[in-house]
Amino acid sequence: MRSAGRLHRAGPLVRFVAPKVLQCLFVVWATYTVTFLLIHALPGDPVLAALAVRAGDAATTDPAVLDALRAQYGLDGSLVHQYVAHFVALFRGDLGVSMATGYEVSDMVARALPRTAAVAVLALVLGFVGALGFTIAAYLARPRWLRSAVSQIPPLGIAIPAFLTGVVLISLLSFQLGWFPASGADGFASTVMPAVTLSLPTGAIFYQVFSAAVFEAGDAGFVRTAQAKGLSQPVVIGRHILRNAVLPSITIIGLQIGYLAGGTAVVETVFSRDGIGRITVDAVLARDINVVTGVVMVVAAIYAVTTLVVDLLYGVLDPRIRTRVAATRAPRPVVLEGADPA
Amino acid sequence: MTNPFRLSRRHLVAPAAVLAAATALAGCSSSSGTEATVSASSTPAAAQDVVFAIKEDPTCLDPQQTSMTTSLNIGRQLTDSLLDQDPATGDIVPWLASDWSVNDDATAYTFTLRDGVTFSDGTPLTSEVVAENFDAIMALGSSASLASAYLAGYTGTDVTSETEFTVNFSAPNVQFAQGATTMSLGILSADTVAASAEDRCQSVVGTGPFVLDSYTVNDSVKIVKRDGYDWGSELRGHTGEAYLDSVTFPIITEASVRTGGLESGEYDLIQDVPYIDESRFSGDAFHLYAAANPGVPNSFVINTTHGLMGDEAVRQAITKSLDRDQINVLTGSASGQAPTSVLTSSTPGYTDLGDTLAYDPEGAAALLEADGWTLGSDGIYQKDGQTLTFTVTAFYAQDVLEAAQMQLADNGIDMQINMVSAGDFFGAIASGDYDALGAGLTRTDPDVLRVLLSVDSASRWGIVDDPELESLLQEQAATVDTDARQAIVDQIQQLVAEKAYVIPALETVQLHASSANVEGLTFDSAARINLYDAMVVG
Repeated sequence: MRSAGRLHRAGPLVRFVAPKVLQCLFVVWATYTVTFLLIHALPGDPVLAALAVRAGDAATTDPAVLDALRAQYGLDGSLVHQYVAHFVALFRGDLGVSMATGYEVSDMVARALPRTAAVAVLALVLGFVGALGFTIAAYLARPRWLRSAVSQIPPLGIAIPAFLTGVVLISLLSFQLGWFPASGADGFASTVMPAVTLSLPTGAIFYQVFSAAVFEAGDAGFVRTAQAKGLSQPVVIGRHILRNAVLPSITIIGLQIGYLAGGTAVVETVFSRDGIGRITVDAVLARDINVVTGVVMVVAAIYAVTTLVVDLLYGVLDPRIRTRVAATRAPRPVVLEGADPA
Repeated sequence: MTNPFRLSRRHLVAPAAVLAAATALAGCSSSSGTEATVSASSTPAAAQDVVFAIKEDPTCLDPQQTSMTTSLNIGRQLTDSLLDQDPATGDIVPWLASDWSVNDDATAYTFTLRDGVTFSDGTPLTSEVVAENFDAIMALGSSASLASAYLAGYTGTDVTSETEFTVNFSAPNVQFAQGATTMSLGILSADTVAASAEDRCQSVVGTGPFVLDSYTVNDSVKIVKRDGYDWGSELRGHTGEAYLDSVTFPIITEASVRTGGLESGEYDLIQDVPYIDESRFSGDAFHLYAAANPGVPNSFVINTTHGLMGDEAVRQAITKSLDRDQINVLTGSASGQAPTSVLTSSTPGYTDLGDTLAYDPEGAAALLEADGWTLGSDGIYQKDGQTLTFTVTAFYAQDVLEAAQMQLADNGIDMQINMVSAGDFFGAIASGDYDALGAGLTRTDPDVLRVLLSVDSASRWGIVDDPELESLLQEQAATVDTDARQAIVDQIQQLVAEKAYVIPALETVQLHASSANVEGLTFDSAARINLYDAMVVG
């Protein structure tokens, strides 16, 4: 019973963390199940699809050859058997082999993931900084018509398709000015244009959440108190408004990663970059089910872990939650947000 | 120099004209059409490095395994073949083999290797290595489907000396001579053929005029000149090493980026110009390179056991209701022409059947009426309560199908289009569940019709019960004499076109472009690119 005692002592922290970890695992399992069912519900033969990629019009339809390939790629046996076998293999880190290209899926993902991550992280940073800039500009803008004019700019980012932005950027910055390479995934310069392309919609979403929170905080009593105390404008914005507005923005980072996973498919095609998105598009077109499953699982894992980290960050960033977790036997009085942090 | 692509279309697509065009492009005053040399007046630029944007990841660089055009275009530069084929005449000439002969029933081919040829890893080309190549292809099986098809019936290679060997087959294999000219049977080093199928995809060592420098998946391929190369075939425009020092192939999936990059000078050459952009590159600042895919044109390949397709009058009415010139104008390249046989005009053995395949709506109507069909109130023929309809299953070239659909509807025939994925297309072939397949089959030998239609073909597309055709298909595969074989191939084309087992729609053209300062790009007989004679001019 010692362990139970330990569990009890660690109570609040475990009670805070455990459900979130379980939720994270559930998301991964559910994603696997849905992906598996979807892939196997689709009509058509993945082995033939892979052959068509490799052999073109010389693809064979000899049943004996197809059966041998099916066994080679773990597509033989009952669906239940495949479902279990693939899931067990996933936990061993074995994502299988791409039928269309013959590469190990884990190698493909390992090769592509850093390149996609470079674009996604830069896009997130640019989007966040851009949203921050526009929010502050809109908050400070006077008179009212200027404020609404500034507020109307960021939504354009989501209204313009990434495909169009990408092609325009290539023809301007690559072909006309020669500042950035039009294609490839070689070095920081090649990351800039894809990241800028993706940062527009990402930034627009950040802006919506961020600006709403900032304007709401701007009207709150503690800001008027701070202003009444004679604090300077930058201090009021920095310490009081932004700090309170940052939480909802962090919440949507998880969602943004989901969006970026899809958005990179477009920019990686336009900018001819190797990456997760392009691999996925190619794999879906070729019915390359090991690659589709592998990529979806890796993205799902990243998404689930990010969400988990964001949830845990709440515990650090939000004093209400932090104190609840830190409290052990005798809960201390909760310090409410808005009480003067200075 | 006038731009040769302003010549009439008709002249351009005949294989001789393609080569002549390449010759003219290269500024050569000779009109013989067999030399594609860079002219004396062109001065080579100091830097002989070009960037050639390709449209997709080659996935596998081993020309023996892949059938993907993009990959073969690169593989051709790295490997040489035993023989070479003149795309203008179809004549087969020596290359790595200085001499060759075939026995009377085409079951044994004896080759003598040229002296002094080495692989880029320094090892010499010997009979033993060639034998290992062919044995390895048979071992690869379905991973090397095209190459093993050329070796159909292979029983082994007898090595008689360092430079002499005989390739044996269990049954007549006339198309092997042509197969031996393709990069699918290009000769690779002993180390390469001993490697695993996956490793070979990443790196191949051949005897070719270029050597693989690097391949970064989904990013780029780079090849560099092979120092000391001096064994090009007599069809090449010069001897010795290639002119270009290096060729970098960035993988640019987006067509608008490729065309934009060529215009801005980012790329020197681009693969697959969309037909709609052709006019952008027809000026003096660019060269266009066009070659019709050899083999069977983009066609409806019929399953006579399905739906109404067993009715000969219906099939013939369909073929007579197609205005192929209009389809070519609507969906083809300006450098292309309408198909005039069940083989494309660039295929050796092609016979002009323009009359049989002429647009003849009255003839179609007469055939159908004689067959008991009457025009219904909806403008579509009917018989015994049945509507005259058929379905074409395809995985590319939807625009071609739509053009045909429109023309057939005007002539009382309802055509349904079933666009599927490539995998499902071959799935349909495997199950036999289709009226007609809409596709072309690229091969460089008239034997392609046997591959397409014969009951003994492992993956036939057309399902036809016609003993006369079957015996002709088998006979051509076993006839060594060129003239005798041509006579049979003529009969086959006439029969297949007349009975409408294959209904041609469009000759697909490979269309590439370069800036004006790159000259000498040529096509081989399979419409794949050869860069050996290419040069950057000052």
